[in-house]
Amino acid sequence: MNSNLYGSLLLSMGILVLSAVIVPFFSEKRKLAGWLNFAFTAVAGFILLNISYSVIFERSLNTELWTIAGFLPVYLLLDSFAGFFLAIIAVMSIMSAFYSIDYMEHYHDYSLKSYYVNYPIFIAGMVAIITVDDLTTGFTVAWQMMTIASYFLVKFEYKKPENVKSANKYLVLMEIAWLLILVGAFVAGSGLGDSIHAVTRSLGASTGVIPFIVYALIFLGFGFKAAIFPFGQMWLPDAHSIAPSPISALLSGVMIKTGVYGIIRTFFWMIPHNETFHFSGSLWGAIIAVFGVVTLFIGTVQSMKQSNSKRLLAFSSIGQVGYIIFGIGAAVFMFNSNSHYLKLLALIAIIGAVYHVLNHAVFKGLLFLTSGSVLFATDSKDLNKLGGLIKYMPVTAIIAGIASLSISGVPPFSGFASKWTLISTSLLAGNEVFFLVIFGIIALFTSAITLSCYVKFFGMTFTSAGTEWTVDKQVKEVGAGMLLPKFILAALCIVQGVIPFFYFNTIIAVFQNSGGSMLSAAFRNMEIDKYVFNTAMGVTVEVPGLSSAASMAVPVVVLVIFAIALCVALLLTRSGGNTERQAETWLCGYQTLNNRNRYMDSSMFAALKAMFGWTGGNVKK
Amino acid sequence: MDILLIVVNVVVFLGLAPLFEGIIRKLYAKVQSRKGPPIVQPYYDLIKLLGKERLTPGNVAFKLAPMMAFASIVTVIMLVPLGFKVNILTQYADIITVIYVLTLGGVSVLLGALSSRNTYAMVGASREMITMIMVEPVLAMTLIMGALKAKGLAVSTSFFSVGDTGYGWGVALMLVVFLMALQAFVGRQPFDISEAEIEIIEGPFIEYSGPYLALFKYFMMIKQMFYAFLFVTVFMPFLQTGYYLANIGTQLGGILAVVVLISLVGSTNPRLRIEQAVRYYAVLILLSLTAVGLTVYGI
Repeated sequence: MNSNLYGSLLLSMGILVLSAVIVPFFSEKRKLAGWLNFAFTAVAGFILLNISYSVIFERSLNTELWTIAGFLPVYLLLDSFAGFFLAIIAVMSIMSAFYSIDYMEHYHDYSLKSYYVNYPIFIAGMVAIITVDDLTTGFTVAWQMMTIASYFLVKFEYKKPENVKSANKYLVLMEIAWLLILVGAFVAGSGLGDSIHAVTRSLGASTGVIPFIVYALIFLGFGFKAAIFPFGQMWLPDAHSIAPSPISALLSGVMIKTGVYGIIRTFFWMIPHNETFHFSGSLWGAIIAVFGVVTLFIGTVQSMKQSNSKRLLAFSSIGQVGYIIFGIGAAVFMFNSNSHYLKLLALIAIIGAVYHVLNHAVFKGLLFLTSGSVLFATDSKDLNKLGGLIKYMPVTAIIAGIASLSISGVPPFSGFASKWTLISTSLLAGNEVFFLVIFGIIALFTSAITLSCYVKFFGMTFTSAGTEWTVDKQVKEVGAGMLLPKFILAALCIVQGVIPFFYFNTIIAVFQNSGGSMLSAAFRNMEIDKYVFNTAMGVTVEVPGLSSAASMAVPVVVLVIFAIALCVALLLTRSGGNTERQAETWLCGYQTLNNRNRYMDSSMFAALKAMFGWTGGNVKK
Repeated sequence: MDILLIVVNVVVFLGLAPLFEGIIRKLYAKVQSRKGPPIVQPYYDLIKLLGKERLTPGNVAFKLAPMMAFASIVTVIMLVPLGFKVNILTQYADIITVIYVLTLGGVSVLLGALSSRNTYAMVGASREMITMIMVEPVLAMTLIMGALKAKGLAVSTSFFSVGDTGYGWGVALMLVVFLMALQAFVGRQPFDISEAEIEIIEGPFIEYSGPYLALFKYFMMIKQMFYAFLFVTVFMPFLQTGYYLANIGTQLGGILAVVVLISLVGSTNPRLRIEQAVRYYAVLILLSLTAVGLTVYGI
């Protein structure tokens, strides 16, 4: 059975590589190539989903040594934690491949050959980086597959010189990140192709500043990839905003999560435990949490300033990764404390971080697909020009609304559930760890700023006015090929928000079943299910030392009350027996609304932008 | 019985919110040496507006926004402990939920403003969003302070924390900060920047008329009463008498006092510019952070 799963893993990667070889021959027939690429990706994706279901719910596997392509021995690890990330990669790459079929018509003056060579390689690279269990040979192959393929995808519109420049910068920085991790591994005493387990053992024998250097190098390396401040700002907004939208969705939704994956693996799995080795967990937890909070704040504030819709989304990815990193930092810090109740909260915090990984993959992918649809329909991603699209693209507008509410953390959508988990744990920890309260408050404050980003994104694209004067072509709703993946992702946004308890349980299973770390041992031994309860598919947390029912989020109940109140409101508007009529916008009777007197995106939140000018990422007028 | 408590919540808030609005208008008039409308005028306004024609610019968001605003505030008031007594819904929400649902109300106002396509409305929306970002932390920290005092994020824990664990310097500071932010919470002078009737003509609401405007107005009235209620419940636990109905009475008395304060401050202060207001809010945020800090260290 074990070998079967590893066999299927290699099979799925083989299918992806095969796709990269075959599909480009059909690239002249653009639609056909798209469908073929989708078919290969879907088959590989379903195999991966099957694997991840097995390892999460049935049996998590241990490391095995496999010889790839007949000459490259590589340790592979299919435990439930890897399975969780594989599922995210599989779902998002299938959605994005389907979306590409119609969307790539947009680039009629570019050949699709390189796109369909690199798309499956990129996916295979991400799958590989999740499953290889070393930091040297296998890691290098996986990292380079992922990085080089995505480099060509980012550079897709190579006829614009600024795109090539941004893509080159992306490549250079990712290679630096790779070097940092590689050097970190060698300093830790890893030989070529040693499994993480062996690296951890040799790290355990090291003394002095060596462990500190190792963790710092690896954290920086994965931090580059995960786009933490200040490294994310160097490459992410440029790279993610110029790539074709389905690729942006994968870069932001999935690829940067491989960095998060690396950080979690490093700080929970790569910790030697013997008498001589002391891991300064509190220090590292605090460092990571500080990076997280700074990233979430700065990234989100910079996002608010953007007028290019894809740059806005890209900066906001940095902000959202900040939430995840903050959750990891808080978890590392509390996990390495001596207090029982902090340890429990650490488990909940890491659940929140992983939950947010999932949620962010879905809603950020969806948002990029939405802005892609807008780009497809109007040829514009400038929020100063867009506006009023709800009239022409109602379905995309509603989907964008759901995604925006999700990322802003409005209940009952998905962002709420995970942000609630992160913020509530840091506030509950507050009585013992004051800095976590401050961080929690900053995170809460930042989610209001996130809201402002998406009020802008949604408002200036779909409501307000502008397109009728600035866009020459006839704007119409995108076809079913681009709507279907968005539908599915929007539905996921709602499901992931309404039944958080199911996801809590799944993530708890992920950690309980995956072996080889103190964290999974704690998940098994501390009986977390005695402290986290199901309340109408919502979550109630009860931790000893706090008041009974310390925190709870029950989106179903909120949804029901809200729906009832909404019906009452609807009845109220109809209560007078009145009629409805459309009317022109009223500008005090002097003028009608026109391109000269409409409100531009660049004027939005001027006072706030001025106040946060010091955070950088400002847009020149 | 369980349902009854929720019904009482709804009836009290929906029934009395226009009355408090009427009192504010009357007091404004008195301070400004006018006669002023009768105290029940807001009821007449609502009823009249509900009967009028529904004018729209022809998109769904415009119609949905006022309903969402109204629904969000009704959701919140259904689960708050009116009469210092929790109801069956209170256990399903914690303060983070309450904060996010309140935010949804603000978002709905913005959505309405943006979808009305009016330039003035968008100026108003921009200002409203800034106000929300800068004032919401004060609300959040008031509730978080309670949560830290009583060690739990549940609505009942946080709302009753001062009553359960007593006053302290942190609470006193937060009380002052809350009062300083009150005008901004309810959008009154000197912080009615986003509506600013004589400058941007009701801002976000300029395009609204008839039933949709009625819903927005009702939303604003209930929100105003909610913030007054919040202040009374958190900071005046001594109003508890031990009897549910008497508690509601004393709470309403407290709300009346807060309402009088709102009108006196509002009617005597000129409106600030947005960048002045932002600086003021920044000070409030720092002060409330201090209050939270003091609370954590038990001061």
